[in-house]
Amino acid sequence: MEHKDQLFKNIFDTNSKKIFHLCYGYTGDTDAANDLLQETFLKVWQNLDKFRNKSLISTWIYRIAVNTCLTYLRSEKRQAKEELTDNIIENRVEEYSEKNEQIALLYKSISKLEENDRFIITMVLDELPYHQIAEISGISEGNLRVKIHRIKQRLTELYNQHARV
Amino acid sequence: MQEFEHIQSLWDTHKVEVKISSDEMLAQVKKDVNSIKTKSLLNISGMILSFIAIASIWLFYDVQSWTTHAGLTIIISSVAVYTFILYQSHKLIAKNDFTLHPKEFLGNLKQYQLNRFSLYNKLYWIYAIALSIGVGLYFFEILGRFEFLMQILIIALTFGWMLFCSALVRKVALKRERERIALLIEKFERLSVQFKEGE
Repeated sequence: MEHKDQLFKNIFDTNSKKIFHLCYGYTGDTDAANDLLQETFLKVWQNLDKFRNKSLISTWIYRIAVNTCLTYLRSEKRQAKEELTDNIIENRVEEYSEKNEQIALLYKSISKLEENDRFIITMVLDELPYHQIAEISGISEGNLRVKIHRIKQRLTELYNQHARV
Repeated sequence: MQEFEHIQSLWDTHKVEVKISSDEMLAQVKKDVNSIKTKSLLNISGMILSFIAIASIWLFYDVQSWTTHAGLTIIISSVAVYTFILYQSHKLIAKNDFTLHPKEFLGNLKQYQLNRFSLYNKLYWIYAIALSIGVGLYFFEILGRFEFLMQILIIALTFGWMLFCSALVRKVALKRERERIALLIEKFERLSVQFKEGE
């Protein structure tokens, strides 16, 4: 069992920060991101039987995280909370330094993107290779490049709009 | 006016904090995995309780006919054998750890698949026939205590239920189980390769 424990710890240690970042980018809420992270890793263990060696284990975990986030936010419980996203983002930043304000703006801008675009840009910002993002999001690499270009433009626009207000 | 590079640098400077450690996460996962084993054990416990409940008929009812004794003996023997087979299957998968002994685990899983297939086919019919004979013999005396309409109703419900289980439930369960185990075997075979590559 010790070997198995170690294996799980390795999987968790290697992937948890990036998955947390993905969940945080999507929800803009630390508590929700932590809940989603835990739910993701529980599913990772439970659904190991569905894992296909066709992809990297990190790709597989990302896909579980994306599905978990989508399900989580689409539930009625989260719908109500989603409306508070702006407030959450603003209230979370305790120190109102310029940097923190900019980070809050960034998350606010990400939250204005469409659901799938939010995931894609989070993975781009986390510097995942394009082929991996393509596999996770189920889009061909060619289409993905075009899509990423548009999302980057849209995000920059949103960020600049918010920054001006 | 900011460019995307600025957004990227902001993202990079924002350090996120994962509140749960790998140890805590592991504890949670183990709790969850243990619940699967508990479910399997509860299944077996349910069968043991059925065994006790049927056997207790001897204690609480004044059984006079030999047919009732024979019927009850057949029923509880069938339940006992089925429970034993369930327990053997449980042991086969519960005690093995894929990460420790992948080859042994895979071998056992394949054996488990064969056992289950046999359980749902040949063994199931033996079980169903034994139960039917047992119930038939049991009813021989017991039904005499009920009115005619009630007798018909009890017989219809009992054998109707058995027929439903044999014709529908068994096929669905067999299909699901076959797919599930086949998927498990496929996955562990793939994982074996991946672990070898990772080493």
